[in-house]
Amino acid sequence: MIVVTGASRGLGEAICHRLLEKDERVVGLARSANALEFEGISCDVGDYQSVKSAARQIRKIGERVDAVINAAGVASMNLAVTTDEATVQKVIQTNLVGTIFCCQLFAPILLRQKSGAFINFSTIAVALALKGESVYAASKAGVEAFSKTFAREMADFNVKVNCIAPGPIRTDLLRGITDAQIEKITSQQVISRQFEKSDVCDVVELLIDAKASSLSGQVFHIGGV
Amino acid sequence: MNVDEAKVILIEVIESALEGKATVSEDMQLIGGDTLLDSMKLVEVCLALEDIADERGFEFIWNSEAAMSKSRSMFRTVTTLAEEFSSQSEG
Repeated sequence: MIVVTGASRGLGEAICHRLLEKDERVVGLARSANALEFEGISCDVGDYQSVKSAARQIRKIGERVDAVINAAGVASMNLAVTTDEATVQKVIQTNLVGTIFCCQLFAPILLRQKSGAFINFSTIAVALALKGESVYAASKAGVEAFSKTFAREMADFNVKVNCIAPGPIRTDLLRGITDAQIEKITSQQVISRQFEKSDVCDVVELLIDAKASSLSGQVFHIGGV
Repeated sequence: MNVDEAKVILIEVIESALEGKATVSEDMQLIGGDTLLDSMKLVEVCLALEDIADERGFEFIWNSEAAMSKSRSMFRTVTTLAEEFSSQSEG
C-alpha cells in the first residue's frame, strides 16, 4: 500500500494515477477525499489531529505501507515584503509542518515493519534562490533539512527518506507564471527544459523500487541543478 | 492494569529491546546520561507498549510535551513509565 498526500490535484494526483496503473494499492489523503476517484481518507496535513486520525485509519487497514509520499503543498509567488501574514503561515504550515506531521505520525507504521520509504517534496526554488519565491523556498528548504536528518533517524530501521525537487511543472502551482519566466528558471537547470508530471512520477517509481535501497537522505532535482 | 503488572510488562519489553544484554530493574533510568536505551531503542519500547495497549483496548500516548520533558517525564525510570502506563490503561 502506498499513501499519498495532496492526492486531489497536481503532482499528488498524478502520482496516485501512476501507481494505480502499476497495480499498487494507493490510499490518497486530501482535504476532500470524497472527490477522489480512488481510495481516500480526508486529511488536512497541517492539522496534527487530522494526520493522527488518518495514520490511525491507515494502521487499521493492516496492510504493509511501502511508501508515504508527501505531495501536499501550496505555493506563494510573491516577494516576501508583499506576502501577507496569513499566506506566510499557510505556506509554512502546509509545506513544512504538514510534511513533518506526516513523517512523525506515519513513521511508527514503517518502523514496526522495518521497511518502507518516505518521499518528500522540495523545489528548484531552494537551490536557485528564486526571486519571488522566498516564503515558498523557506518552507521547502525546511523540508530538505528535515528530510536529510530524518533519514538518519530512520536508517537503523531500514526506512528510507528522500526528497524530490521539481522545477516548474505544469500544475495549478504555476498559475499566472509566463513561459518567459519558466524559461528563465529552466535555463538554469542542467537539462534546460520544462519537465512534466510524468517525469516526476518516473522518479517516484524509481525511489520506491527495491533497487533504490541504497538511497536515503538525498534531494533529487528534476532536470538537475 | 495495576502498576505491578505494568512493571512486569515494561521490564519484559525493555529487556527485549536490549536483546537480553542487560538486566532491567525498577529504578533503571530510561532517559539521560546513564541510560542503556538510546533514543531509537526508546522509540522501539514505546511502539511495543502502543501495541500492548492496543491489544488491551486503550491508547498509550507517549509523545506529548510532558513525556519528553526530562524533569517531569514519564520516562525518568522504569517505575515512572509503568505508573503512567497503568494510569493510561485506566483511562
